[in-house]
Amino acid sequence: MSNHSCIEIANEWGIVSARQAGRELSKEIGFGSVDQARITTAISELARNIYLYTEIGKIDLEEISDNHKNGKVRGIKVVASDKGPGIENLRDVMIDGFTTSGGLGAGLPGVKRLMDEFDIESIPGEGTTITTIKWLR
Amino acid sequence: MRIPILKLGRYLLISVQVELDDQTALQFQEDLLNKIHQEGSLGVVIDLTSVDMIDSFIAKVIGDVVEMSSLMGAKVVLTGIQPAVAITLIDMGVSLQEVQTALDLEQGLERLQQELGG
Amino acid sequence: MRSIVLQHMIDNKDHYIEQWRVSFGELLFSRSESTIKPQYIQDEMKEEFVSVIFDTLTMDRHSRRAVVKRFAERLIHDGWVVSEFIMSLQRLRRIVMKDLSNHYDKEKFVDLSGELEDWLDEQITDLTTEFAKNHEEVKAIQNVALKELSAPLIPVFDKIVVMPLIGTIDTKRASQIMENLLDGIIEHRAQVVLIDITGVPLVDTMVAHHIIRASEAVRLVGAECLLVGIRPEIAQTIVNLGIDLGNFTTKSTLKKGVEAALQMTHRDIITNEEPVTGGGLN
Repeated sequence: MSNHSCIEIANEWGIVSARQAGRELSKEIGFGSVDQARITTAISELARNIYLYTEIGKIDLEEISDNHKNGKVRGIKVVASDKGPGIENLRDVMIDGFTTSGGLGAGLPGVKRLMDEFDIESIPGEGTTITTIKWLR
Repeated sequence: MRIPILKLGRYLLISVQVELDDQTALQFQEDLLNKIHQEGSLGVVIDLTSVDMIDSFIAKVIGDVVEMSSLMGAKVVLTGIQPAVAITLIDMGVSLQEVQTALDLEQGLERLQQELGG
Repeated sequence: MRSIVLQHMIDNKDHYIEQWRVSFGELLFSRSESTIKPQYIQDEMKEEFVSVIFDTLTMDRHSRRAVVKRFAERLIHDGWVVSEFIMSLQRLRRIVMKDLSNHYDKEKFVDLSGELEDWLDEQITDLTTEFAKNHEEVKAIQNVALKELSAPLIPVFDKIVVMPLIGTIDTKRASQIMENLLDGIIEHRAQVVLIDITGVPLVDTMVAHHIIRASEAVRLVGAECLLVGIRPEIAQTIVNLGIDLGNFTTKSTLKKGVEAALQMTHRDIITNEEPVTGGGLN
């Protein structure tokens, strides 16, 4: 009974539909308004990265649960993957203010702060996969 | 999609009621600057009560629009930023330091009036 | 089917109980809050523990678990420390093991000691699981209590609210406080918030960081923050740690803060020339 959806990011509208889907799913899981905003914003950042730097990619949203010491904990898993150029220097992109697009440079480090878990894998020339999770507290 | 800009004396009022996608945000930036130029407006209130998400790109567009307006001689006050949106912006390290804010449209107009001397 | 070990223990019940009692000797059963209990209460508890362990030998897993569970609940309720019960179970293991090694040949002994371990593990797991579960429950209740206690927002004048912070501020509490603060500002249409840190025992970089974040968020929703109640030692630590509160309006007392807030909202405190009965603002 996993709740799963996948949004292709091929144009700007993909960004909007990804974050709408994220808001809906996070609401359904039971996140409060602040966490809903955090999750939606993180999705928007991830989707925008795909749109800006690669031709095409996708955002996968999934409801997950894990056995925690207080019993079962629900959460949302957001996976952004693309077949773009990859990221040469992972260390740089995680620095606040680092930007190659003229934005605020808050993108990836911002996503890391908005979510509970953050993992990035990138192979130059092959693509990037970013996995983030927010747990329902 | 275009965001309507209302004129109220020397001020401009904007209430953002749509989900802000990149194109709409950029279009709005352009429309607002043209309107300020056209009307010679001294103050602008942008009400964001209905906006439920501001990511770093939208924040950048808003910050830019404030700076550009001020270059053209119009003070901008942002109003109605929701608590959840404010917390998310702070989490991301975006504090919009240079931007003036007020609780709602009414207080935003008051603020402009005070600063521009009635 | 009952294992040979358990049958063995049932058959030699009196012998084992006797030996186990002796091994209890130097073990102090205690409660967490008061270190040592009167001797007779300790003895009572030891006897009860003995009978729980040995009476349940004849039961199946299910009813055994129910008894252990009930026992654990009682221990928790009276505030006993679980580690001593587990230690005493480990002593029982030593006693039975030694006995088994005297009674059976090596090969049989290996089998039997495995059975014994399984049974003991089961008891220990049941006991500790119950304890852990209960601890979590207590923690959850305390968290709720803390949440209710944390950071009320008090409207003092039109457009002015005060939030007194009391106690240590950790990250979890800080985000709770931030949400209360922002929601309260909207609800009361406040323009100035006074954050009173008189009751905060310690301001380190972490706490300062939370306060700075809160004030930035307050500014974004359209109000302003005043930090009041800065005691001399707090001022010292803030400067010594190199924390920059430059963008902050700070006042030493709540009273001065309220005066400043009234000024910021364009209001004055006026002393009436005629004495006012029943007290005025001053």
